[in-house]
Amino acid sequence: MRRNTWKGPRSLAALLCVAFALPAFLVACGDDDSDSGGGGSAAAPKSTAPASKCGLGNGKKATGQPIKLGAIITKQPGTDFTDISDMAKAYFDCVNDNGGINGRPVQYVVQTEQTNPQQVASLATKLIENEKVLGLVGNTSLIDCAVNQKYYEKQGINLIANGIARECYFSEGIRDINMGPYFSTLGAAQYLVRQGAKSLVAATLKAPGTDFNNKGAVDLAKQEGIPGKSVTEVVPINDGAALALKLVDAAGDGGGVILDFIPPEALKVLQGAEQQGLIDKVKWACATPCNDGSIAEALGPAWNDKLGINAELNLVDSKGPDNQLYLQVAEKYGKGIAIGSFSQMGFTDAMLATKALMTVKGEFTKESVNEAFKNLKDVKTDILCNPWTFGDGVRLANDADRTIVPQDHEFVEKEKCFDIAALPSNNLEEQRKADAGQ
Amino acid sequence: MPDLKPFIVLGLALGGVFALSGVGLVVLFRATGVVNLAYGAVGAFGALITWQLINEGGWNQWLAFLVCVLFGGAVTLVYGYFFGPLLAQRDPLVKATATLGLLLILLGLSSWIWGDDARSIVLPTTSEGFQLGEVRVNYTQILALVLCLVVTAGTAVFLEVTKLGTAMRSLANDREITAMLGVPVRRVEAAAWLGSGLLSGLTGLLLSNLVGLDMVGLTFLVIAALAAALIGQLKSLWVTLAAGLAIGLVQACATPFASIGGYRSMTAFLFAIVALLWFARKQPALVRV
Repeated sequence: MRRNTWKGPRSLAALLCVAFALPAFLVACGDDDSDSGGGGSAAAPKSTAPASKCGLGNGKKATGQPIKLGAIITKQPGTDFTDISDMAKAYFDCVNDNGGINGRPVQYVVQTEQTNPQQVASLATKLIENEKVLGLVGNTSLIDCAVNQKYYEKQGINLIANGIARECYFSEGIRDINMGPYFSTLGAAQYLVRQGAKSLVAATLKAPGTDFNNKGAVDLAKQEGIPGKSVTEVVPINDGAALALKLVDAAGDGGGVILDFIPPEALKVLQGAEQQGLIDKVKWACATPCNDGSIAEALGPAWNDKLGINAELNLVDSKGPDNQLYLQVAEKYGKGIAIGSFSQMGFTDAMLATKALMTVKGEFTKESVNEAFKNLKDVKTDILCNPWTFGDGVRLANDADRTIVPQDHEFVEKEKCFDIAALPSNNLEEQRKADAGQ
Repeated sequence: MPDLKPFIVLGLALGGVFALSGVGLVVLFRATGVVNLAYGAVGAFGALITWQLINEGGWNQWLAFLVCVLFGGAVTLVYGYFFGPLLAQRDPLVKATATLGLLLILLGLSSWIWGDDARSIVLPTTSEGFQLGEVRVNYTQILALVLCLVVTAGTAVFLEVTKLGTAMRSLANDREITAMLGVPVRRVEAAAWLGSGLLSGLTGLLLSNLVGLDMVGLTFLVIAALAAALIGQLKSLWVTLAAGLAIGLVQACATPFASIGGYRSMTAFLFAIVALLWFARKQPALVRV
């Protein structure tokens, strides 16, 4: 005889354990946060203006011994950066079809990782010591910088990457196409200050060390003589409207709120704010992750011109020659790659690496390739605001951003390029002084 | 002291949906002995289908909303129809764990089909509302509260006065004796799976508006509903209703307090643990020798 009963509280407790183990399992499997940039845009723009060329642009297939480059990319449920490496590979394929690196093709070896430090460390060793790659280009990993920074330094690797962790921005041998959460949140805060915000509240995910993401915004508030506050929140957010209310209360009427969450989480807060009639109570801004086609599509007209999003790269439909080449390469060599800031980063990574490789005289060795990367100086591209320099010491290679706003389910440029503020918590003042002195 | 009025409105609406989900879980458990851990995932998946139909398929939104509710009913019914009899004689913990399979399949499928992009569904009731003092109240929040009251009362009456309801209650007491009395057990169980599934679709639709359209997030929310159902000892619809509302209220009202706001997502856990300790108080301690 069976009864549908749980035999007392112990059985209920057993059920509780099963149910409550779920989140831990799902968190382990999914939804990690990243701030390396937006994802794919829903509507893919096409190239409609003159474009630059891949490498030599002579239409001749490259032959001979390949020049091996590598990358480590996070790919796991909820966090997949392979659009970046796929796009970098698409660009190298285009280069190989257009004369290669002075006749030699590029072979691009990509390793994916699942945020396991031991795995990430062994992948770096495998690429450099077993695969004998000559350089690393386009690394985008949640933990690569933190795990391998010292190893890369020891191996003389100068990495052209897309950063997430703090170490990606404060290491001598790593330079990024993007800015990462600290600088992007600071850029969004600068926009709000220019909009006349009377206070700044910066919200990011709760995880070890993420308070640093908000530090620039809080420091800027202090410098401007207005209240500044850092808020960290557990993700996934299960009460976006309540969080929106909390942030608006913290900012006060006329204050400014900056969100630094991945698109689905940021949207929950924005949607909650709209439902509670909070859009006009404060001024809203977002760090780069909101620069995502899906956010533009999901936000209604109530948000037109009301959400300033810090954009580290140019709009994906911009008419500059490099961006037009990006669209052409994506169409011809990158079938299935989402058009968005992630693939734009991959394109820029590969384009910079190609420019550097073209300067190598003589043998292609690990030393000559990494020296060439390090010597990249004042490379102009319409995808970035300022010329890109690898340079010496610790520096932020991309130190100027734009602000974009939603307008009828699309993003439009609100502010042209501006320099990210130099603050005591970053090294931009020394960097700019050094650049001016050269 | 922060102004709690807007948080009370949010808490009641969210609590209403927790309660609604809790009632769906209790009804299913009373008839089949299964605690459906895939309840939230089914609703979330249905909501994503609705999003797809409206945004990519150009469907009429009301038709798409209906699909969400029907999807919940259909998937749950199919699962219950095929796996219910196979698991009927197993321990309730095994039955509950089996539903994790459905949950993982739905999670995997949603990740494969829709990825991690941000999406939203806006019910027409969400765009409309009124001011209550300084607090903005939208009709989806009212709908959530009204629905949880109506569904709880309706289900209680249904179980009490209808033939099917009586059969469900007798199944809850003893499946084999009920079968021997000539009650079509599989049909009664199928009705419970279907009813519970329809509720999961409805709650998925409401939560995608109140919380956001996020597969993982909405799947997690089954925990609050489960906590409410546990407080009702998987028996009492009215206690489940009250518990769901209380969890929603406490969670929302904790938000503006800096000292406890960061821990508000633990509200459901806290309620469930306190309830279990309270129930355990009456049990004599068992010692295994």
